[in-house]
Amino acid sequence: MAILDLVRLDKHFGSVAAVSDVQFTVSDGEFMCILGPSGCGKSTLLRMIAGFETPTGGDIRIDGDSIVTLGANRRPTAMVFQKYTLWPHMKVFDNIGFGLQLRRLPRAEIKRKVEESLALVSLSGYEERYPAQLSGGQQQRVALARALVLEPKILLLDEPFSSLDAILRVRLREELHRIQRRLNITAIFVTHDQEEALTLADRIAVMSSGRIEQIAAPADIYANPASLFVADFIGAMNLLEGEASSQQVRLGAVALPTPGGVAARQVTVAIRPEDLVVLDGPHPEAWSCAVEQISDLGHYRRAVLEVPQLPPMKIYLPKSLSVQERAALHVYPRRYLIYENSGAPREVSRPLPAAATALLG
Amino acid sequence: MSAQQLAAPPPPVEGFWLGTRRSFQTMIRKNGFGLIALVLLALVILGPLYSVVLWAFAERWQYPSLIPQVFGLSFWERTFARADIAEALPFSIVLAATVTLISAVICLPASYAFARMKFRGRQLLLLSFLATNAFPRFGLYISIAVIFFRLNLIGTIPGVILIQLVNTLLLMIWIPTAAFQGVDRSLEEAALDVGASPLRVFVQITLPMVMPALSAALLLTFVNTFYEAQGALVVGLPRIVTMPVLMYSLINSQLIVQYGAIVSLVLWAPSLILLILAQRLLRGGYLTAGFGV
Repeated sequence: MAILDLVRLDKHFGSVAAVSDVQFTVSDGEFMCILGPSGCGKSTLLRMIAGFETPTGGDIRIDGDSIVTLGANRRPTAMVFQKYTLWPHMKVFDNIGFGLQLRRLPRAEIKRKVEESLALVSLSGYEERYPAQLSGGQQQRVALARALVLEPKILLLDEPFSSLDAILRVRLREELHRIQRRLNITAIFVTHDQEEALTLADRIAVMSSGRIEQIAAPADIYANPASLFVADFIGAMNLLEGEASSQQVRLGAVALPTPGGVAARQVTVAIRPEDLVVLDGPHPEAWSCAVEQISDLGHYRRAVLEVPQLPPMKIYLPKSLSVQERAALHVYPRRYLIYENSGAPREVSRPLPAAATALLG
Repeated sequence: MSAQQLAAPPPPVEGFWLGTRRSFQTMIRKNGFGLIALVLLALVILGPLYSVVLWAFAERWQYPSLIPQVFGLSFWERTFARADIAEALPFSIVLAATVTLISAVICLPASYAFARMKFRGRQLLLLSFLATNAFPRFGLYISIAVIFFRLNLIGTIPGVILIQLVNTLLLMIWIPTAAFQGVDRSLEEAALDVGASPLRVFVQITLPMVMPALSAALLLTFVNTFYEAQGALVVGLPRIVTMPVLMYSLINSQLIVQYGAIVSLVLWAPSLILLILAQRLLRGGYLTAGFGV
């Protein structure tokens, strides 16, 4: 049972606001990812929870009790760092057992717990190694074991896999997911890798310039990005600037209908590549375009389309669809989001026009 | 010359020598300069050593012989029978240890501050420790001695300790500062995170990691202080006589060369022992495991 509450949290470094007005709750056993570009304040936020930075304002509560005044060594949190932070002069056993020794646990119990936690990260039998004798992936697993052995109320992870190679990163990510589910521990994971966030998280908090842009489940964030920043940051997205009138948004030579009630004149239309449907022929409501470039990505192909007077657009093509570069295509935006200057976007979802057929290859 | 003779393989012995000579020639041709430098270096380093060692064990050595006519240990007995040497040797060891200890007490916290704290003039202060090494030492000592004279520190143990401390500052500040800077902050944070108090983090995480460098600084400081003669000479005489000072006077004023040679050999011993210790210290423990040696 561990619930983390962040209450209007602020952190200023001099005149620079690293974190401003962050407020959310992480419920018991939840895996929360804080996602954002580098310098957005996500690490500072995590370091405030761990106790390495003192907030300028606001409160941090675990199970309702404020921990802001506690030093890092007295907080019921445990952190896995970005860099390898095993103590080089201690064996793996002592690295993991250090926190237990500080708690004056009996020797036999320390031994049992260290063995258990090593088994949890699939490194049984590595007790007598020194950190320098382990690979990068093994070191981070030991660091995870070191954090878990203390049975913290909140597990904090600061881009723990970012210094590992791609294959290892995916493997450790899956392992972490399994361990977190098994222990049902409340975890906060900071990352700039959206794939990592989308696969691991129960909920994602997207951060930008010290503020939370959106907090939602991965599917939700992907389907309904609350702001233009999130729309651009998460997944592939075609962003088209246009002029809105009462009936439609004009985008260069083409136009899209609006649901009405769009107040601003300057809007941005966001279309996911998979929401562009390829029709079998020209149609008044479809956009005629040329295929600029095709990249084969194994199970599907990604193409860049050239629509007159618009920036290049990304689209996914099934492999079965035989399209060459320079060929002409007719695409129909089936679903799109209209962003005004601020506030939630308007979602437009529409059926295929009558008498048109989608090309599925 | 018949064809048979031509076909016959060269005699192995001659071939062997031929090969050696040829490889030696190519060596000279390729590394001629390096080889000459090596020989010269050996002469420069080993020449005086050779002379000192021989003199220490010589009973009689007269020109133009290259080695002493009579070897013997009688001068060793006579050397250690001298009251001034029996007194100066233990005194020098205790003095060097004391100076090293005081230097550590002053410099180690300072170097931690230099490594971990940001304050104004930090860089300038750090550079200022070079000052004692930037000028001719002797001039510095003379001007300090003038001040010490007014303070009645001339010829006293505190005076000698003070002047020798000046010498230790650079090593004892710079090496530990670099070592403390080398300890990654996040290693300390990780220890804090699992519940260690700041003091415990320092003692159990930071200190062990800088220990090899600290030991090296301590050893070097001890050895340097043990051999320091100029400062001790200027401030210590006439009442305080350390081993190097004594050696100076033995070499300068004695007609018997053996005393100087034997004292020189005795003075080598501490640095030799400490160097061996330092090697053990730097090689042993986690460093070995750490670098996979």
